[in-house]
Amino acid sequence: MDYTWDFEVVVRNFPVLLRGVVVTIELWVLAFPLGLALGFAVSLGRISGKSWLNAPAIAFVEIFRNTPVLVQLIWFYYAFPIILGQQLAPFSAALLGLTLNTAAYCAEIFRGGIQSIVRGQWEGARALGMTYAMTLRRVILPQVGKHMLPAFTNRGIELAKVTSLASILTVHELMYQGRLLSSTYYRPLEILTVVALVYFVLIYPGSYFSARLERKLRARD
Amino acid sequence: MNYQWDFSAIVKYADMLVLGLVGTVKIAVVSIVLGVIVGALVALARMSANPWLHRPATAFVEFYRNTPPIVHFFWFFYALPIVIGVSLNPFVAAVLALSTQSGAFYAEVFRGGILSIDRGQWEGARALGMNYRMAMRRVIVPQALRRMVAPFIERSFELTKTTALASTLAYAELLYEAMQVNSITFRPMEVYSAVALLYFIVLFTASSAMRLVEARLARHA
Repeated sequence: MDYTWDFEVVVRNFPVLLRGVVVTIELWVLAFPLGLALGFAVSLGRISGKSWLNAPAIAFVEIFRNTPVLVQLIWFYYAFPIILGQQLAPFSAALLGLTLNTAAYCAEIFRGGIQSIVRGQWEGARALGMTYAMTLRRVILPQVGKHMLPAFTNRGIELAKVTSLASILTVHELMYQGRLLSSTYYRPLEILTVVALVYFVLIYPGSYFSARLERKLRARD
Repeated sequence: MNYQWDFSAIVKYADMLVLGLVGTVKIAVVSIVLGVIVGALVALARMSANPWLHRPATAFVEFYRNTPPIVHFFWFFYALPIVIGVSLNPFVAAVLALSTQSGAFYAEVFRGGILSIDRGQWEGARALGMNYRMAMRRVIVPQALRRMVAPFIERSFELTKTTALASTLAYAELLYEAMQVNSITFRPMEVYSAVALLYFIVLFTASSAMRLVEARLARHA
């Protein structure tokens, strides 16, 4: 192998990659809290006794968990103009797909957490005159929050990786910028390697702290 | 929203989608088998006391867990050929990306299962005069296998969904064939809805079947 590595092109174009990093972070910062909030709402539907809430919630979760994310993103990309009657930016389509996907997984985490609390606690809270919302907020969630935390940080890490698929919809995030540079300069080896490293630098701290947190929580139990 | 759904256009090209489905199953099966082999080797290296083995194995696992799969796909297809001087076809590149990536995750499944076995079992085996390999084969692995089943199945599902990324390298799996049908028929909504449904049927049926197997195993435990 007599290939001469040349990182000069990467260094010169690093601002281009950084612009991609900003968009990657934007996607994550918007999709994660939105996905969490929607996931919580869906989980309430999922555990509700009313079938008109229960059935759509189950369908939502199962559809998003049993199809590839890339198919979901592409679907929203094409469905958007048809549903809304106008073409939206690829960013919005990607954001919607990522949010709904995250919501489906988070809904299962919330459901698992909430259902891990024995029925007696609900009955006790009811006996004290608490409403459903009060019981959830004051009795149930404080007990399960800690146990759900590792699962949520894992979701956050998954989401950070999945944002890279927005590149297929031509969202100018890190992966897209990397592909653009690599096809412009014919230096895929250097550029794609650096892109992988940048993702690693972005994501590794998250999984490092989440692993530490998980150990700490387990030790305290 | 008064969109006229018209599935007749894509029914004509159903054989292309079936071809894609076969491609998806093929790449998933090959990558699962290779991924299990990679994962077993990496897990053994990671549990080794020799730092020359466990450090690279840990780095391998952390790298793959903290970088997006699409970067691996592009790296193997565009960057690796420069290093080795041989160009790879999309199938080989995609299988390399999938099996090394899933290998990292399978390694964690195997390691987690083996580490979950109580220390006393090792000590007992040692007291009976077994060496490391014998203890592993006769005492530890048979017990650990049962605990590995659920996370192993989950990883295999993730892998199957990730095969959709092979479409970006123009490997003829389900999503790629869908893109082809779309470019002929210009019916993206119908095509991608049908494809999402196909993925759903395959994954949902498989996951329901696996849940039955799991329940069976749990009952015999």
